[in-house]
Formats: sequence, C-alpha cells, structure tokens
Amino acid sequence: MTQFSNRRLRVLLAKLGMDTHTIGVTVIAHALRDAGFEVIFTGLKQTPEMVANTAVQEDVDVIGVSSLSAAHLKHLPKLAEFLRAKGAGDKLLIAGGVVPFEDIPLLEQAGVRKIFTMGTETRVIVEYLKTWWEAKLAAEARDA
Amino acid sequence: MSTAPQMVASEIAQGSPAQAVATPPAAVGLAEAVEHWQEHTRGPEVALRGERLPAFKSQAMHWPVNPLYTPLDLEAVGFDYQRDVGFPGEYPFTRSVKPNGNRTALWTMAQVTGFGRGMDWAKRARFMLDQGLQGLILEHDLPTTNGYDSDDPIAEGEVGRAGLAIDSLEDLDLAFDLPFDRCKYLMSVCNAPQPVNLAMIIAALERKGVDPKQFVLHTVNGILIEYTCVGRYIYPPKDGLRIATDCFEYMIEHHPNWAPISIISAQIYAARGNPVQELAFAMTIAMQHIDALLERGLSIDKVAPYFHFVTGVDMDFFEAVCKLRAFRKIWARQMKERYGATRPESMKVRVMSSPGTMSLTLQQPLNNISRLAIMATACALGGVGETMTTPLHDEAHALPADEAIRVGAAIQHIVAHETGVADTIDPLAGSYYVETLTKQMEDAVMAEIDKIMAMGGALAAIERGYFQRELAREQCDRNRALEDGSRKLVGVNHLVLPEERREIPIFRLGDEVEADQIKRLHSLRSRRDSVAVENALAAVRTAAKAGTNLVPPCLVAVKALATHGEICNAMRDVFGVHHPDAQTAGV
Repeated sequence: MTQFSNRRLRVLLAKLGMDTHTIGVTVIAHALRDAGFEVIFTGLKQTPEMVANTAVQEDVDVIGVSSLSAAHLKHLPKLAEFLRAKGAGDKLLIAGGVVPFEDIPLLEQAGVRKIFTMGTETRVIVEYLKTWWEAKLAAEARDA
Repeated sequence: MSTAPQMVASEIAQGSPAQAVATPPAAVGLAEAVEHWQEHTRGPEVALRGERLPAFKSQAMHWPVNPLYTPLDLEAVGFDYQRDVGFPGEYPFTRSVKPNGNRTALWTMAQVTGFGRGMDWAKRARFMLDQGLQGLILEHDLPTTNGYDSDDPIAEGEVGRAGLAIDSLEDLDLAFDLPFDRCKYLMSVCNAPQPVNLAMIIAALERKGVDPKQFVLHTVNGILIEYTCVGRYIYPPKDGLRIATDCFEYMIEHHPNWAPISIISAQIYAARGNPVQELAFAMTIAMQHIDALLERGLSIDKVAPYFHFVTGVDMDFFEAVCKLRAFRKIWARQMKERYGATRPESMKVRVMSSPGTMSLTLQQPLNNISRLAIMATACALGGVGETMTTPLHDEAHALPADEAIRVGAAIQHIVAHETGVADTIDPLAGSYYVETLTKQMEDAVMAEIDKIMAMGGALAAIERGYFQRELAREQCDRNRALEDGSRKLVGVNHLVLPEERREIPIFRLGDEVEADQIKRLHSLRSRRDSVAVENALAAVRTAAKAGTNLVPPCLVAVKALATHGEICNAMRDVFGVHHPDAQTAGV
C-alpha cells in the first residue's frame, strides 16, 4: 500500500453569502466525523473567494456547500471558478440544500460534481464520499 | 323526627370501622385502586397483546409517558392548586395573564410581510392595511439584517430577496408611504444593526410627520438569540448586548409607549431546541438583558414589563400546551423571587405564540394544513398570549401563494370561532397529565436555568459555545431518529409517496430589483454632503469607544444620509466582528 492510504478524507463544509441556516451543515458535519472523515467548517458569511482560499490553505479533498438561501446560482459557479483559478480544480465540489431540480444541470455544468437535495439521508452522502475517496486513493496509488 | 340520619352523620364524622371498609378515605383508596387496575385490568391486556411501541415518550423531551395519569401523579410532583395554578390575571399567571382570558377579545391575528424595494414593500403593506390589519411586521432582507449595503460584494443575489432592502433613509421614506392613521403597530425584525434601524425609523416617522405617541414600534433587539442559533450577528456577543441595551434605554426614555425588546425564543425551537432548552435559554437570555439594564441604574419594575417573547410550538400537543403554561409561571416567579419585582405588570409575561414552521414538511405540503390547525389549537389551549401568526403550508417551498395566505388566516378563525377552545380560560387545567407535565416542565427548566447561571449566565454560555453545542446535539439526535425510523414524520419517513417529485418553485426576484437598488445607492452617495457623513460616522465611532449611547449619533448619521452599511462599518471599526470557531458554533 502507498502512503496515501492512511490519509483521512479532509472535507471543508462551507456557508456562502448571507445564508445563516446551519442545521443541515451541522448534521452533515457530525455524520461525516462519525464516519471517520476530518471536517473543517468555514463559519458563516463567506464569499466564494474566501472559501476557495480556505480550501487551498487547508489542503482539503472535498468542498461541501450548504445552500438554503436561493443564491446558489450566484455563488456556486463563482466558487468553482475560483477553485480552478487557484489550481484546485481537482478538489471535489459538492452541494446540498434547497436547490430546484431545474437548477441542477446548470450547477453541474459550472463544475459542481454532485447536488444532494433536501431529504437526502446522511448515509447516502457518506457512501458517496467513501466511494469517491477509494477511487481517488486507488488512482493516486497507480500514479505513484 | 327520626334520629337515624343524625346517627349516620355522626358515624361518618367519627369514621366508624364499618364506613372505612365500605368507602375508604380517598388517598389510600386510590393508590390501591390504581394498583388493582394495573394488576387485574390493564396488566392482563398488556400481557396478552403487548403494546404497539417498546416505550412511549414525549416527542421532544423524550420523557416517558405513562399509560394513565391520576390524582396520585399530582401528589407525586407536589402539585398545589393555589400555589402552582391560581387564577387568571393573578400570580403566578399559569392560567392566563389576562383576567378574562380570550373572552374579552381574541388574540391579535398577524401575518409577516416584506420583500423588494421601499415602494414594493409599501404597496404590499397598503394592501394588508386595506384588508383590515392594523399592524405590520417588517422583515428586512439579509444584507440589511447583517449590516451590509446592497452593493457590498457579499450581498450579491440577496438584495430585496428575503425582505425589504434598506440602504438609507430615502428607502424607508418610500416604504413608509402608508396611511399611518390606520397603522397602529409596526414590528421590525431587524436585530444586530438595531441603533441604525431604530434611528432610520425614528427619522422617517419624523419626516412623515407621524406622532410617535400614536403608534407602537416594536423592535426585536433580543440580540443574544442571534449568537445562540440564528447567526445574523455582526459584533462580538458582549458588544451586541451593549448595543441592545443602548437601544432599550433610549426607547424607554424617549418613546415609553413603544416595545423595545422581543426575545424570539421560537428561533431556539426552530434550531430544534426542545421546550426545556427553549424556555431556559430564553429566560437566561432575558435575564442577561435585564442585568445589563439594572447595571445602568434602571429598576426591575421599570424594565420587566417591557419584555416580550415570541415562542413557536411544535407538534407534541401536550408539550406545547405545558410549555406555554409553565412559561408564564416561571417568568412570574423569576421576576418576583430573583429580582424582587413588586408590580404585577413585571410578573406577567407577554408572549406571542405561533405554530412552528420547522414542524412543517416539504413533502406532501397539504398535510401541513392539518399540522397548522393542530398547533394553532395547542397555542389557543396553552393560552396563546397576545398575538398568533400562522405560517403557511407551502412555506417550506417558496414565497407563499395567495391561497396559502388565505388558508393560513382561516386556520386561526376556525380555531377561534368553531372549536370553543377560546371560550373558557385555560380549559386543560386540572388534567392529571397536563398538570403533571407542566410541573415537570417547570422543574426541568428551573434546573437548566440554575445550570446556566452557574456557568455565569447566558453570555458566558454563548461565549463558551454551550447553547450552540446543546442545540447541535438535538439536531443530530432528531435527524438520527428520523433516519432510523424511531420518530415518525408523515410524508418523510412514514406514508411516503414513492413517486413524489418535489418541485421547489423558488421565489425568483428579478435581477433588476438588485440593480435598481444599487443604482439608487450610488446616486445617493454622489449627491449627499460627504463631509457631514464623515463627521457623523466619526461620532458613531467615538460613542462606540466611549460607551455612550449609540442611538443619538446614529440618528445624526442617518439624517446626514450615511448608509446603513457605513454606520454598521463604523461600529465594526470599534467592536470588530464575531466569527466563532467550529467548536463554539457547534458544527
């Protein structure tokens, strides 16, 4: 096995703009920690640039944005752009919260890899991240 | 005359052995009777057929719920009618703060409104006044509530979306294009930038020539709730408390008929706090605000009558009713016993209670109408307080549709006029279960209050993240219970429609509203007297540093057309901003 296999998945959970609804992000943070992931929280009232900077500084693997304020179409494409501009386009950008179905393709096109809509069970998100992480570790092991 | 009846009477009085066997004294007899019922009637049934749940518990507190409550339970909790319940309008106000309950007048039925620019809000507000409403609730948009101007980069996408966008006094001039002779009451939900908000409203009323005595302004101002769970804070908690205290002090001095504070404990419930947490956190938050006022030399009997709460009730019917009953008693006792208040007005808690939005589901939205009706009934039976608002059954989806607004209002009228629950005062009093649970609730809240006070009070509890972590635990526990099915929620994990595709028609305000608002703001900045603005902002900084009341310099600043964000920034320069770490935030 390579050096990568001992690394724990590092997740940055973020709240963008004025959206101060924190129940979803709290429940997800605790569920991801229970699953053995490392979780960092940005705090509230972040701009896309602030979140991209934190993602780079903290060297996370995943950025998860919780959005309940309907400003997702403004913020998420910008965050994806900042991540690419900072050479962090390979990090997994996912989102969850109140997102209308019709907006999902727009966000996917902008670089958000997966959107978990309201009512998604935490184990579904944990399973998704585990699968992604195993595939990434395997790829890194092949390349090493 | 026969002597027989007299003989019988004297035998009863003496408690002859023959009588004791036939009808034993009530207390002893009841315990035996309950035991007898358990052993001979209920026991065999349970042994034979079991029970439908492994354990029966109340929804939020998870307290065991017994199969039956009798006078023995009241005895076990030390229930004393005169001490614990008493009479409506009399200490400890458990039955009602109003001497005649809802028989003199029903509670006030209110609705929340607010979006767009000043003129958009005024149009909606005039419509509501035309419908016969006498009061309005003003919601600001998120940039305003969080102390930013509409052109701040962080405000992008949020201008005018969740409420009215206010950048300067000119916006409020447009919003206040209202028939103030018909508007008796305005509640402003803006919290953290309170001195700016208050100054803008005072200045706008002055420019309209509205006599502040003819009108009640109700500000929220219970800032510590924001740090506990809402998140719409700006400055560190201790500075937030000082600002709120400035506003309270200014209002009772200059506008004694106004309402300077509401502790929105419904936000604690909305953050999944259980009833004991809601009451204990809200009470200690109120006490922290009271202590700050007393430190300024005000007396308890001067400030206590101004305190107002907004509480949300959840779906567990009995927890909701008992929470409202216990709340009145706890407030009365704390004011009298802890603070030595002597005026009855100080001991009457002023509450607005409402069905809680967090008990509604996105799934199968029509089900929410039945939930709202049940919660509104619980509010009425718990002694609702002064006002009730009904959220709307499609509120989880988007800006409410007209039909939802109509149904929301109808629910309150149905409860008030068709059920009879508002016709006698506190009709659930004396129920063995209700009185036991009310007492249990009171005792648990008092234990939690003692715990928080031992930490140093609400401010200390917030600074060390206690409230936030306690709520985070409740949020995670509740989610787990829904995911593992131990708590049933219709449409979510019970009676789920497999094919339900939940469209979320999010209210999309045109981008032109934001662009237009920013255009106005830039026009204002280019034509005002910038020297006057700079001087006024400097005076705000000076007051912030010196600890003198912030409202007067904010009044000067808003009249000089300094913007909302600029004045908030002047205070940011002095106080800094609040940015808790994940541990303190409970995330």
